[in-house]
Amino acid sequence: MKSFLINWSVVNRQWSAGRHLFYLFCCTLCFSACTPKVEKLPIFGERELNGKDTVFHTIAPFQFVDQDSAIITNAIFKNKIYVADFFFTSCRTICPIMKTQMLRVYEATKDLPDVLLLSHSIDPEYDTVALLHDFANRLGVQSNRWHFVTGVKDSIFKIAQTSYFATALEDKTEPDGYIHSGAFLLIDRLGRIRGKYDGTKDDDVNRLIEDIKKLRNEQ
Amino acid sequence: MNNSQRSAFNRQWSIGFMTMILSIGCSGKGPKYQQYFAQGQTLYEKHCSNCHQRNGQGLGLVYPPLNGSDYFEQKFEASLCLIKYGIQGEIIVNGKSFNKPMPGVPSLTELEIAEIATYVSNSWGQQHDIVEIHQVTAALNKCHQ
Repeated sequence: MKSFLINWSVVNRQWSAGRHLFYLFCCTLCFSACTPKVEKLPIFGERELNGKDTVFHTIAPFQFVDQDSAIITNAIFKNKIYVADFFFTSCRTICPIMKTQMLRVYEATKDLPDVLLLSHSIDPEYDTVALLHDFANRLGVQSNRWHFVTGVKDSIFKIAQTSYFATALEDKTEPDGYIHSGAFLLIDRLGRIRGKYDGTKDDDVNRLIEDIKKLRNEQ
Repeated sequence: MNNSQRSAFNRQWSIGFMTMILSIGCSGKGPKYQQYFAQGQTLYEKHCSNCHQRNGQGLGLVYPPLNGSDYFEQKFEASLCLIKYGIQGEIIVNGKSFNKPMPGVPSLTELEIAEIATYVSNSWGQQHDIVEIHQVTAALNKCHQ
Protein backbone atom coordinates (compact mmCIF):
# COMPACT_ATOMS: atom_id res chain seq x y z
CA MET A 1 0.00 0.00 0.00
CA LYS A 2 2.82 2.35 0.93
CA SER A 3 4.75 1.60 -2.23
CA PHE A 4 1.59 2.17 -4.20
CA LEU A 5 1.22 5.73 -2.75
CA ILE A 6 4.85 6.61 -3.48
CA ASN A 7 4.39 5.40 -6.99
CA TRP A 8 1.45 7.67 -7.45
CA SER A 9 3.34 10.76 -6.32
CA VAL A 10 6.13 9.94 -8.79
CA VAL A 11 3.61 9.55 -11.54
CA ASN A 12 2.01 12.88 -10.58
CA ARG A 13 5.34 14.65 -10.58
CA GLN A 14 6.27 13.25 -13.94
CA TRP A 15 2.90 14.13 -15.36
CA SER A 16 3.12 17.69 -14.09
CA ALA A 17 6.58 18.11 -15.67
CA GLY A 18 5.21 16.70 -18.91
CA ARG A 19 2.26 19.04 -18.70
CA HIS A 20 4.55 22.05 -18.41
CA LEU A 21 6.43 20.92 -21.45
CA PHE A 22 3.14 20.45 -23.26
CA TYR A 23 2.01 24.02 -22.41
CA LEU A 24 5.33 25.37 -23.57
CA PHE A 25 4.92 23.47 -26.83
CA CYS A 26 1.39 24.90 -27.30
CA CYS A 27 2.60 28.43 -26.62
CA THR A 28 5.42 28.06 -29.13
CA LEU A 29 2.95 26.81 -31.71
CA CYS A 30 0.62 29.76 -31.08
CA PHE A 31 3.49 32.21 -31.19
CA SER A 32 4.82 30.90 -34.45
CA ALA A 33 1.33 30.81 -35.92
CA CYS A 34 0.62 34.40 -34.88
CA THR A 35 3.84 35.77 -36.31
CA PRO A 36 4.30 33.91 -39.58
CA LYS A 37 7.68 34.37 -41.16
CA VAL A 38 6.97 36.61 -44.14
CA GLU A 39 9.63 36.59 -46.78
CA LYS A 40 10.32 40.24 -47.52
CA LEU A 41 10.94 41.40 -51.06
CA PRO A 42 14.49 42.54 -51.80
CA ILE A 43 15.36 46.24 -52.03
CA PHE A 44 17.15 47.02 -55.29
CA GLY A 45 20.03 49.37 -55.90
CA GLU A 46 22.94 50.76 -53.95
CA ARG A 47 22.65 51.60 -50.28
CA GLU A 48 24.63 53.98 -48.12
CA LEU A 49 25.10 54.30 -44.39
CA ASN A 50 24.12 57.65 -42.95
CA GLY A 51 25.14 57.42 -39.30
CA LYS A 52 23.22 54.36 -38.15
CA ASP A 53 20.53 54.55 -40.86
CA THR A 54 20.75 52.77 -44.18
CA VAL A 55 19.79 55.01 -47.10
CA PHE A 56 18.32 53.05 -49.99
CA HIS A 57 18.14 53.89 -53.69
CA THR A 58 14.87 55.67 -54.48
CA ILE A 59 13.21 57.00 -57.63
CA ALA A 60 14.52 60.54 -58.32
CA PRO A 61 12.07 63.49 -58.41
CA PHE A 62 10.19 63.67 -61.70
CA GLN A 63 7.50 65.71 -63.41
CA PHE A 64 5.54 64.45 -66.40
CA VAL A 65 2.08 65.02 -67.92
CA ASP A 66 -0.51 62.25 -68.13
CA GLN A 67 -3.35 61.45 -70.55
CA ASP A 68 -5.65 63.94 -68.79
CA SER A 69 -3.04 66.74 -68.95
CA ALA A 70 -2.53 66.34 -65.20
CA ILE A 71 0.95 67.02 -63.81
CA ILE A 72 2.33 63.76 -62.46
CA THR A 73 5.10 63.91 -59.88
CA ASN A 74 6.38 61.64 -57.11
CA ALA A 75 3.70 63.18 -54.87
CA ILE A 76 0.97 61.20 -56.70
CA PHE A 77 2.72 57.99 -55.62
CA LYS A 78 3.41 58.98 -52.03
CA ASN A 79 2.34 56.11 -49.75
CA LYS A 80 1.25 54.12 -52.81
CA ILE A 81 2.65 51.02 -54.39
CA TYR A 82 3.10 51.34 -58.14
CA VAL A 83 4.23 49.44 -61.20
CA ALA A 84 6.23 51.36 -63.82
CA ASP A 85 7.16 50.55 -67.40
CA PHE A 86 8.45 52.18 -70.61
CA PHE A 87 6.73 51.87 -73.99
CA PHE A 88 5.39 53.87 -76.96
CA THR A 89 2.03 53.60 -78.65
CA SER A 90 3.27 53.06 -82.21
CA CYS A 91 5.57 50.21 -81.19
CA ARG A 92 4.75 46.86 -82.73
CA THR A 93 7.41 44.68 -81.15
CA ILE A 94 7.14 44.02 -77.41
CA CYS A 95 4.93 46.94 -76.31
CA PRO A 96 1.60 45.39 -77.34
CA ILE A 97 2.48 42.29 -75.32
CA MET A 98 3.53 44.48 -72.39
CA LYS A 99 0.23 46.36 -72.56
CA THR A 100 -1.72 43.08 -72.60
CA GLN A 101 0.21 41.99 -69.51
CA MET A 102 -0.13 45.38 -67.77
CA LEU A 103 -3.86 45.16 -68.39
CA ARG A 104 -3.76 41.89 -66.41
CA VAL A 105 -2.04 43.72 -63.53
CA TYR A 106 -4.68 46.47 -63.81
CA GLU A 107 -7.51 43.92 -63.59
CA ALA A 108 -5.84 42.04 -60.71
CA THR A 109 -5.42 45.23 -58.65
CA LYS A 110 -8.77 46.78 -59.55
CA ASP A 111 -10.02 46.82 -55.96
CA LEU A 112 -6.77 48.03 -54.40
CA PRO A 113 -6.84 51.84 -54.22
CA ASP A 114 -3.25 51.96 -52.95
CA VAL A 115 -1.85 50.33 -56.11
CA LEU A 116 -1.22 52.49 -59.22
CA LEU A 117 0.31 51.96 -62.66
CA LEU A 118 2.68 54.33 -64.48
CA SER A 119 3.54 53.86 -68.17
CA HIS A 120 6.13 56.26 -69.60
CA SER A 121 6.21 56.94 -73.32
CA ILE A 122 9.76 56.91 -74.68
CA ASP A 123 8.50 58.58 -77.87
CA PRO A 124 6.97 61.64 -76.21
CA GLU A 125 7.03 63.78 -79.35
CA TYR A 126 4.69 61.40 -81.17
CA ASP A 127 2.81 60.27 -78.05
CA THR A 128 1.09 63.54 -77.22
CA VAL A 129 -1.40 63.96 -74.39
CA ALA A 130 -4.26 63.59 -76.88
CA LEU A 131 -2.80 60.41 -78.32
CA LEU A 132 -2.21 58.89 -74.88
CA HIS A 133 -5.74 59.90 -73.89
CA ASP A 134 -7.12 58.06 -76.91
CA PHE A 135 -4.87 55.05 -76.22
CA ALA A 136 -5.97 54.76 -72.57
CA ASN A 137 -9.62 55.11 -73.59
CA ARG A 138 -9.22 52.40 -76.18
CA LEU A 139 -7.73 50.11 -73.53
CA GLY A 140 -10.74 50.96 -71.38
CA VAL A 141 -8.77 51.95 -68.27
CA GLN A 142 -9.31 54.65 -65.64
CA SER A 143 -6.84 57.51 -65.69
CA ASN A 144 -6.64 57.85 -61.90
CA ARG A 145 -5.31 54.31 -61.59
CA TRP A 146 -3.18 54.00 -64.70
CA HIS A 147 -1.20 57.09 -65.73
CA PHE A 148 0.26 57.20 -69.25
CA VAL A 149 2.84 59.96 -69.19
CA THR A 150 4.74 62.00 -71.71
CA GLY A 151 7.32 64.73 -71.16
CA VAL A 152 10.80 65.84 -72.11
CA LYS A 153 12.42 62.92 -73.92
CA ASP A 154 15.79 63.25 -72.16
CA SER A 155 14.12 63.32 -68.73
CA ILE A 156 12.25 60.12 -69.54
CA PHE A 157 15.37 58.37 -70.84
CA LYS A 158 17.34 59.57 -67.82
CA ILE A 159 14.84 58.43 -65.22
CA ALA A 160 14.54 55.06 -67.01
CA GLN A 161 18.29 54.47 -66.88
CA THR A 162 19.28 55.99 -63.56
CA SER A 163 16.20 55.55 -61.36
CA TYR A 164 14.44 52.44 -62.68
CA PHE A 165 17.53 50.69 -64.14
CA ALA A 166 15.52 50.05 -67.30
CA THR A 167 16.98 50.32 -70.78
CA ALA A 168 15.49 53.01 -73.02
CA LEU A 169 17.50 54.29 -75.96
CA GLU A 170 16.93 55.75 -79.37
CA ASP A 171 18.37 53.54 -82.11
CA LYS A 172 17.62 54.30 -85.73
CA THR A 173 18.74 50.85 -86.81
CA GLU A 174 15.90 49.19 -84.88
CA PRO A 175 12.64 48.61 -86.83
CA ASP A 176 10.71 51.02 -84.59
CA GLY A 177 13.62 53.33 -83.81
CA TYR A 178 14.05 52.48 -80.12
CA ILE A 179 15.67 49.88 -77.92
CA HIS A 180 13.89 49.46 -74.62
CA SER A 181 13.44 46.78 -72.03
CA GLY A 182 10.11 45.10 -71.42
CA ALA A 183 10.62 45.33 -67.68
CA PHE A 184 7.89 46.06 -65.13
CA LEU A 185 9.28 47.67 -61.98
CA LEU A 186 7.55 47.32 -58.61
CA ILE A 187 7.99 50.42 -56.44
CA ASP A 188 7.09 50.54 -52.74
CA ARG A 189 5.53 53.29 -50.61
CA LEU A 190 8.96 54.83 -50.00
CA GLY A 191 9.91 55.01 -53.67
CA ARG A 192 12.25 52.02 -53.55
CA ILE A 193 12.45 49.34 -56.26
CA ARG A 194 11.28 46.03 -54.80
CA GLY A 195 10.96 43.86 -57.90
CA LYS A 196 11.82 43.63 -61.59
CA TYR A 197 9.75 41.45 -63.94
CA ASP A 198 9.67 40.61 -67.63
CA GLY A 199 6.50 42.32 -68.82
CA THR A 200 6.25 40.05 -71.85
CA LYS A 201 6.00 36.80 -69.86
CA ASP A 202 2.83 35.46 -68.25
CA ASP A 203 4.71 33.68 -65.42
CA ASP A 204 6.75 36.70 -64.46
CA VAL A 205 3.66 38.89 -64.38
CA ASN A 206 1.92 36.30 -62.18
CA ARG A 207 4.86 36.64 -59.79
CA LEU A 208 4.48 40.44 -59.87
CA ILE A 209 0.79 40.17 -58.95
CA GLU A 210 1.72 37.93 -55.99
CA ASP A 211 4.53 40.31 -54.94
CA ILE A 212 2.13 43.28 -54.95
CA LYS A 213 0.06 41.40 -52.33
CA LYS A 214 3.18 40.68 -50.26
CA LEU A 215 4.26 44.32 -50.44
CA ARG A 216 0.84 45.53 -49.30
CA ASN A 217 1.16 43.37 -46.18
CA GLU A 218 4.49 44.93 -45.27
CA GLN A 219 4.32 47.48 -42.48
CA MET B 1 -16.06 -14.49 -108.46
CA ASN B 2 -16.57 -14.42 -112.22
CA ASN B 3 -15.25 -11.76 -114.52
CA SER B 4 -18.32 -9.52 -114.46
CA GLN B 5 -18.49 -9.70 -110.64
CA ARG B 6 -14.80 -8.86 -110.43
CA SER B 7 -15.14 -5.86 -112.70
CA ALA B 8 -18.15 -4.60 -110.70
CA PHE B 9 -16.14 -5.01 -107.50
CA ASN B 10 -13.18 -3.13 -109.00
CA ARG B 11 -15.48 -0.39 -110.26
CA GLN B 12 -17.00 0.06 -106.80
CA TRP B 13 -13.58 0.25 -105.24
CA SER B 14 -12.29 2.72 -107.77
CA ILE B 15 -15.38 4.91 -107.35
CA GLY B 16 -14.90 4.84 -103.58
CA PHE B 17 -11.23 5.66 -103.93
CA MET B 18 -11.93 8.56 -106.32
CA THR B 19 -14.56 9.96 -103.96
CA MET B 20 -12.08 9.85 -101.13
CA ILE B 21 -9.41 11.72 -103.10
CA LEU B 22 -11.97 14.26 -104.33
CA SER B 23 -13.30 14.87 -100.84
CA ILE B 24 -9.80 15.46 -99.51
CA GLY B 25 -9.04 17.77 -102.42
CA CYS B 26 -12.29 19.72 -102.17
CA SER B 27 -12.21 20.27 -98.42
CA GLY B 28 -8.78 21.84 -98.84
CA LYS B 29 -7.39 19.86 -95.95
CA GLY B 30 -4.71 18.03 -97.93
CA PRO B 31 -0.95 18.31 -97.54
CA LYS B 32 -0.88 21.67 -99.30
CA TYR B 33 -3.37 23.05 -96.78
CA GLN B 34 -1.35 21.60 -93.91
CA GLN B 35 1.77 23.27 -95.25
CA TYR B 36 0.09 26.65 -95.74
CA PHE B 37 -1.43 26.47 -92.27
CA ALA B 38 1.87 25.59 -90.56
CA GLN B 39 3.88 28.23 -92.43
CA GLY B 40 1.07 30.71 -91.86
CA GLN B 41 1.19 30.11 -88.12
CA THR B 42 4.95 30.80 -88.00
CA LEU B 43 4.50 34.00 -90.01
CA TYR B 44 1.47 35.05 -87.94
CA GLU B 45 3.44 34.67 -84.73
CA LYS B 46 6.33 36.65 -86.20
CA HIS B 47 4.44 39.54 -87.79
CA CYS B 48 0.91 39.72 -86.37
CA SER B 49 0.46 38.14 -82.94
CA ASN B 50 2.21 40.87 -80.92
CA CYS B 51 -0.75 43.15 -81.54
CA HIS B 52 -3.60 40.87 -82.61
CA GLN B 53 -2.58 38.33 -79.93
CA ARG B 54 -1.93 34.63 -80.30
CA ASN B 55 -5.62 33.91 -79.78
CA GLY B 56 -6.60 36.46 -82.43
CA GLN B 57 -8.71 38.46 -79.99
CA GLY B 58 -6.85 41.76 -80.37
CA LEU B 59 -6.62 44.22 -77.47
CA GLY B 60 -9.44 46.51 -76.36
CA LEU B 61 -10.20 49.07 -79.05
CA VAL B 62 -6.50 49.42 -79.86
CA TYR B 63 -5.93 46.30 -81.97
CA PRO B 64 -8.97 44.74 -83.69
CA PRO B 65 -9.72 41.02 -83.38
CA LEU B 66 -9.09 38.59 -86.25
CA ASN B 67 -10.97 35.84 -84.45
CA GLY B 68 -14.57 36.25 -85.57
CA SER B 69 -13.92 39.49 -87.45
CA ASP B 70 -16.67 40.61 -89.82
CA TYR B 71 -14.17 42.94 -91.49
CA PHE B 72 -11.87 40.06 -92.44
CA GLU B 73 -14.84 38.08 -93.80
CA GLN B 74 -16.59 40.87 -95.68
CA LYS B 75 -13.55 42.81 -96.88
CA PHE B 76 -11.42 39.83 -97.61
CA GLU B 77 -9.44 41.33 -100.51
CA ALA B 78 -8.82 44.57 -98.60
CA SER B 79 -7.62 42.44 -95.68
CA LEU B 80 -5.10 40.63 -97.90
CA CYS B 81 -3.84 44.03 -99.09
CA LEU B 82 -3.40 45.52 -95.65
CA ILE B 83 -1.22 42.61 -94.55
CA LYS B 84 1.32 43.83 -97.10
CA TYR B 85 0.67 47.58 -97.27
CA GLY B 86 -0.75 48.42 -93.84
CA ILE B 87 -3.76 50.63 -93.21
CA GLN B 88 -4.48 54.11 -91.82
CA GLY B 89 -7.67 55.72 -90.63
CA GLU B 90 -10.83 54.39 -89.05
CA ILE B 91 -12.18 50.91 -89.70
CA ILE B 92 -15.26 49.32 -88.15
CA VAL B 93 -14.83 45.76 -86.91
CA ASN B 94 -17.85 43.99 -85.39
CA GLY B 95 -19.53 47.36 -84.94
CA LYS B 96 -16.61 48.92 -83.07
CA SER B 97 -14.36 51.71 -84.29
CA PHE B 98 -10.61 51.13 -84.50
CA ASN B 99 -8.32 53.95 -85.52
CA LYS B 100 -4.66 53.20 -85.00
CA PRO B 101 -2.38 53.02 -88.02
CA MET B 102 -1.19 49.50 -88.81
CA PRO B 103 2.18 49.23 -90.52
CA GLY B 104 2.28 46.69 -93.33
CA VAL B 105 4.97 44.12 -93.99
CA PRO B 106 6.02 44.97 -97.58
CA SER B 107 8.60 42.19 -97.68
CA LEU B 108 5.91 39.47 -97.59
CA THR B 109 5.51 37.47 -100.82
CA GLU B 110 2.15 36.49 -102.29
CA LEU B 111 2.70 32.94 -101.07
CA GLU B 112 3.39 34.15 -97.54
CA ILE B 113 0.26 36.33 -97.52
CA ALA B 114 -1.76 33.30 -98.70
CA GLU B 115 -0.26 31.27 -95.88
CA ILE B 116 -1.04 33.89 -93.22
CA ALA B 117 -4.60 34.29 -94.55
CA THR B 118 -5.05 30.49 -94.57
CA TYR B 119 -3.89 30.33 -90.95
CA VAL B 120 -6.15 33.18 -89.80
CA SER B 121 -9.20 31.83 -91.71
CA ASN B 122 -8.82 28.42 -90.11
CA SER B 123 -7.81 29.19 -86.55
CA TRP B 124 -9.63 29.64 -83.25
CA GLY B 125 -12.61 27.61 -84.43
CA GLN B 126 -12.94 29.38 -87.78
CA GLN B 127 -13.15 27.09 -90.81
CA HIS B 128 -12.69 28.22 -94.38
CA ASP B 129 -10.92 26.98 -97.48
CA ILE B 130 -7.26 27.37 -98.18
CA VAL B 131 -6.39 30.84 -99.51
CA GLU B 132 -4.69 30.39 -102.89
CA ILE B 133 -1.89 32.51 -104.32
CA HIS B 134 -4.04 33.62 -107.29
CA GLN B 135 -6.55 35.14 -104.83
CA VAL B 136 -3.74 37.17 -103.29
CA THR B 137 -2.45 38.21 -106.73
CA ALA B 138 -5.91 39.41 -107.74
CA ALA B 139 -6.38 41.32 -104.47
CA LEU B 140 -2.97 42.98 -104.62
CA ASN B 141 -3.53 44.02 -108.24
CA LYS B 142 -6.62 45.92 -107.16
CA CYS B 143 -5.00 47.76 -104.27
CA HIS B 144 -1.44 48.13 -105.53
CA GLN B 145 -0.11 51.50 -104.48
